[in-house]
Amino acid sequence: MSRNRVLRVKNLSVRYQTQKGPVHAVNDVTFDVFENEVFGIAGESGCGKSTLIRSLMRLLPDSALVTASEITLSGQNLQSMPDKNFREEILWSKMSLVPQSAMNSLNPVYRVGHQVVEAIQAHRAISKAAARNRVAELFDVVGLQADLMDNYPHEFSGGMRQRAMIAMSLALDPGLIVMDEPTTGLDVLVQERILRRIREIRSQISSSIILITHDIAVIAEMSDRIGVMYGGSLMEQAPAIDLFESPCHPYTLGLKNAFPSIRNKGQELISIPGSPPTLIGESSECSFLERCPFKAEECSKEFPAIEKLAEFHEVRCFRHKEAPKLRELASNKATWLSSN
Amino acid sequence: MLEYVLRRLLYMLITLFAVASILFLLFRMLPGEATLQVISPAMDEAVQQRMKAAFGLDKPVWHQYLIYLKNLVSLEWGRSFVSAQEVTAIISYRFWNTLLLMASGLCMTLTLGIGFGIVMAWKRNSPLDVAGTVIGLIFQAAPPFITGLLLLMIMSYRLGLFPTGGMYPPGERPENLIGLLLMPAFWERIVLPTITVGMYYLATPMLVMRDSMLEVLGSDYIELARAKGLKPSTVMFRHAARNALLGVVTLASIMVGFAVGGQVVVESLFSWPGMGQLMVESAASHDYPVAQGTFLMLAILVIGLNFLTDFLYSYLDPRITVSSEGIK
Repeated sequence: MSRNRVLRVKNLSVRYQTQKGPVHAVNDVTFDVFENEVFGIAGESGCGKSTLIRSLMRLLPDSALVTASEITLSGQNLQSMPDKNFREEILWSKMSLVPQSAMNSLNPVYRVGHQVVEAIQAHRAISKAAARNRVAELFDVVGLQADLMDNYPHEFSGGMRQRAMIAMSLALDPGLIVMDEPTTGLDVLVQERILRRIREIRSQISSSIILITHDIAVIAEMSDRIGVMYGGSLMEQAPAIDLFESPCHPYTLGLKNAFPSIRNKGQELISIPGSPPTLIGESSECSFLERCPFKAEECSKEFPAIEKLAEFHEVRCFRHKEAPKLRELASNKATWLSSN
Repeated sequence: MLEYVLRRLLYMLITLFAVASILFLLFRMLPGEATLQVISPAMDEAVQQRMKAAFGLDKPVWHQYLIYLKNLVSLEWGRSFVSAQEVTAIISYRFWNTLLLMASGLCMTLTLGIGFGIVMAWKRNSPLDVAGTVIGLIFQAAPPFITGLLLLMIMSYRLGLFPTGGMYPPGERPENLIGLLLMPAFWERIVLPTITVGMYYLATPMLVMRDSMLEVLGSDYIELARAKGLKPSTVMFRHAARNALLGVVTLASIMVGFAVGGQVVVESLFSWPGMGQLMVESAASHDYPVAQGTFLMLAILVIGLNFLTDFLYSYLDPRITVSSEGIK
């Protein structure tokens, strides 16, 4: 399988210096996004997935220290690029964002269409009329009536605002669209409609998508490949089917248990006991150690390195070789309760 | 829209009516016999009675009140006890002088306050931010008569840069407002009182602007504006400041009311022939018709400006629609 790589991120870490010590919000994350694919990043709140994409888009405050050995977008090295060039050449035109809270991401004092026009005109030297035509086109793509562009955000419903945000993200045909929890905060029906719309759009455009969500069901439905994040690290990544059929990391196993499945009717949902780590201070142990029912001695000595199981299947766990056995054990509720 | 304007006008009239009624009561509750200024006890008893009758003072209070209201509406605000001039004539001249000084003072306060507020939020915790806060608070803590005196002492007496007071050189009273505005001497004289008023009120809009900027800067639409690759200055002014301004506009309407208070002090200090000075003079000389008229006029000014800021607000924030049910 040889596909063009759109984004390559290698050994990306984000650190904050706080009064309690350094916080490792993102820890040594490596992943690729290929042309025309949806790469999903799953993980619970506070696992660093939003920080990860904000670091890619340089939206983090100055107090965040971002390090990486490589960040390239369509072959362009982003790390050495000055802020001004990054802003003018990369942001929105090559990498756009569908933000987490569509409800609050539109500026309340400007008309919705104007805010899309603004994004277009910031990067393309075209007339306002031409830009407005483009907006009408985009509104049509996402299923909004073109004449709505002269309305203010408060006149839009949540679903409409999310559509407008998606329209905005498509404005400049970027190679990569980052969707940060695009359906969070919408009711289930609207959520379904938005997802259907995103799928439809996918067939019309060539952009790759990074889809970030804590909703396993959404990610399973939408993604080609999935990365599972925990405590700032990418614990496992694999093509969607592989990840759900042969998960290897204990955390992935736990996540799978915690979501209902249509196929296994009557299956009891098992949640992972404990809460996510605080990420404060230097630590050499595995970040999932405290909640892991399968912890071994070596887990507290060092953080497991990335192991490659198949071409696109990578995992950070010392016991990945015992995966079939662990899968069996993980489906038993007692396994999880005994770990604490 | 029209219905809303009419409704607001009605509210304005009710407020004015209340202010006028309170004024009526206040002046009748003042210690001492108000009429002493005009009707001397040394006069013959019959003459005193006749004069009281001429002023309507022989009638019961409620009747006097009705006459008072009727006269207010028909703009017969009486004559000054001191100069015997029509009160309306005195006030209409003074009103513009006060409005000029107040407008220039508030303009300075708001422009500097909003401008510095934006920059201070942008460069948060920088020496500039700290300096701005300290300077603003010092001028707010210093009473305007101290600031004004210091300005007069340094700028006028020591350095001789500005005249010491008045609105125009003695004996050169301009024909009308335009004549006044065309006089360079007027602009020389308005500088110091403007600075005094402007600096006194600076801290409030500046700190409010800074705070609401910081709040707005943390919002999702600012992050999106940055993600869109807009220039930092565009994000700062078009997106952040535009929203942060809403808080300051509300404040501006409240400040207008406070500014009237500062006006009294500053006008007296710089011998500015405005309503503030008039208020002090007339109160000191027990010139009740003039004092009453001045108070009423200041109330009209404040209520009117509040009315205007309401409309400005609905213009700045599209979420607030002016509808028949009022501002939402």
